[in-house]
Amino acid sequence: MTERISYSFCESLRAQQAAAESSLREEFTQGDYTLEKPLIKLNPYLINPLSALVAFRTPEETAVTVTIFGKNNKGTIVHTFPREKEHILPILGLYGGYDNQVELRLYGGRAQRLTIHTEPLSERVPELLKLHVEPEYTSEDLIFVTPSLSALATAFDRFGEVRWHLTVPVIFEMTRLKNRNFLIGTERVMQMPYYMSGLYEMTMMGKIVKEYSIPGGYHHDQWEMEDGNILVLTEGESYETVEDVIVLLSRETGEILKTWDLKDCLVPGEGPSGGYTPKDWFHNNALWYDSHTNSITLSGRHVDAIINIDYDTGRLNWILGDPETWPEDKQKYFFQIKGDGDFDWPYEQHGCLVTPNGGIMCFDNGHYRSKIREKFRLNRDSFSRGVLYRIDRETMTIEQLWQYGKERGEEFFSSYIGNVEWYGEDHYLVHSGGIQYYGEHASEKPAALLQGDPNVRAESITVEVLQGKVIFEMKIEGNFYRAKKMSLYHEGENLPLGEGILAGRMGVTPEFDTLIPMEPCGELLPYRYEARLTEEEDRFVFKAIFEGGQMVMLMLENETQEHGYFISTSKNKFNALCCGTFIEKDPRNITLNVNKAGLKGTFDVRVIVDDKKYETGIKITC
Amino acid sequence: MIKEVLEDEFRQSSKEGLVLADFYSTTCGPCKMLAFVLADVDKECGDKVTIMKLDFDKNRALAEEYGITGYPTLILLKDGEEIKRTTGLQQKPAIIKMIEEA
Repeated sequence: MTERISYSFCESLRAQQAAAESSLREEFTQGDYTLEKPLIKLNPYLINPLSALVAFRTPEETAVTVTIFGKNNKGTIVHTFPREKEHILPILGLYGGYDNQVELRLYGGRAQRLTIHTEPLSERVPELLKLHVEPEYTSEDLIFVTPSLSALATAFDRFGEVRWHLTVPVIFEMTRLKNRNFLIGTERVMQMPYYMSGLYEMTMMGKIVKEYSIPGGYHHDQWEMEDGNILVLTEGESYETVEDVIVLLSRETGEILKTWDLKDCLVPGEGPSGGYTPKDWFHNNALWYDSHTNSITLSGRHVDAIINIDYDTGRLNWILGDPETWPEDKQKYFFQIKGDGDFDWPYEQHGCLVTPNGGIMCFDNGHYRSKIREKFRLNRDSFSRGVLYRIDRETMTIEQLWQYGKERGEEFFSSYIGNVEWYGEDHYLVHSGGIQYYGEHASEKPAALLQGDPNVRAESITVEVLQGKVIFEMKIEGNFYRAKKMSLYHEGENLPLGEGILAGRMGVTPEFDTLIPMEPCGELLPYRYEARLTEEEDRFVFKAIFEGGQMVMLMLENETQEHGYFISTSKNKFNALCCGTFIEKDPRNITLNVNKAGLKGTFDVRVIVDDKKYETGIKITC
Repeated sequence: MIKEVLEDEFRQSSKEGLVLADFYSTTCGPCKMLAFVLADVDKECGDKVTIMKLDFDKNRALAEEYGITGYPTLILLKDGEEIKRTTGLQQKPAIIKMIEEA
């Protein structure tokens, strides 16, 4: 049989960027590029269309100042690069669909003005719905948002203009590193709806400096330690439960140096929130290392609580949350409310952080706003907020010092995602990233599962509050996991050259224990299933369309081995929306990712659909 | 032993011993897969447990009585009393563990 289903091999983004950079450097080496006639390459790393690279030589070493002029003189970006003879300069913060005016000025000397034309913004860039800026707000940093639905990671300036976005759906937390690169989740989904393959260390140009593959995958959050190693939220490699393991990765090699399994300090099923499931019993969505106490603070959405564990031992130190429904032996870890001031516990919270003086902040989603099923609130009757607590570990008491959002009711309500940022005393950012309306009221069902329904409206509101006053508020279309402020340029190396490095390792994709006894029928998988297989260096991705109710299993077979991977065709496959960016509008679309790790040999790929085992005509070598 | 049953037989036969009730739908992919898993479980557990398969559409009153909200749902009964329940497709080791712990 020579026929096969659709097949392609996809080079990694690192390899594609390396080829593009190599070609560009070759072009620069062979040409005579000067200040007056520089080499200009738009989107040199293929995924940031609002960036360009400008390269030229000068006879003497000189510093160069780049100015990207703002529209109507608002939002101008200036950066000076150190002395060089060969200037390979990243240009950041261009506007989409615009003839951007850029000036290159030699230190104390000549200048050259360039016009860099960009294509219109992608439809997946969020639309600004509302912007309110008070005179006190003068920050030049951009507001970066990372997606939870189908949009792209994007950054707005304080005038509401999009100045940065990536065209690949990298997700979850953007962590700025000490070298000023940032870490973000890859676009490579491993298992819906929970986790990705790992992390990219990236420059603002979108260049991947390092890709970390993590055996248990990556979700939600990461933290750079003082020595550069990285704490990452992951899964155990058995994948029997999810979002309950933390690992310390070697920054150098990606090797796992230390592991904390939350099942060692908590009992799954204790203190469940409204969204609890036995598999996703904790739903860890945030991570904060506190060097003052050598401890890790974590946010468990599905236990309605922020917990703190000892870094060295993993022992539970305390639990911040509503103590109702938790068993007696855990009560000693909870705080008692001090005084009779305004106080609410957090429910299904996100984005916990520890302030410099030991306060605990989070985005309190308020989903269900109770631990007792009979007292669950509808979303339309609840509220979300940023909140700051003061805890006293000696007396095990807690006070609520500040909150913002309760007064806004359902208009500011996010049943999921969101974060807070601490900028100083009484100066905070609150990001309600998961606002979803169905008609006139907060939706009671997740919008990601209602895509295409005209009654659904997804929004995200980010506010900055200084001494009780909202000095910045931005509302954009779509849901965004987190928001944070960062500069585009920095004083470090803005454009490290050379091929991106792959570190760490992929995990073994779990197989289904029971195989279906069935002989191949010899027929090619029918075209009506629109099946296609994309092979990558370390895995392959099988996509197809099956009707709900069909029994589907992908098989890898050779003379001595059989590996089976069950594919669910259920309409409601997902109990969480961590990787909601990748949820298909048509629930009949299925995706199966199989890592090559743990497999050895050459395999025929076959697919069982109900009572037939079909050929795909594809062989995979692992 | 695996057998397909209706409400009356289920009520009669589940009063004694260990019974694993599989509430399934004929229009559910994971339910079809679970049938193969249960066949394997039956081979391994033999007389320890009786597996009773209940088609949701033919046993709606019973499904409602047991509060079935999705399928497949497995309910393990000991002398007629529910002692464990799982929803969604389960793998063989998890089901065997559930039976052995009963």
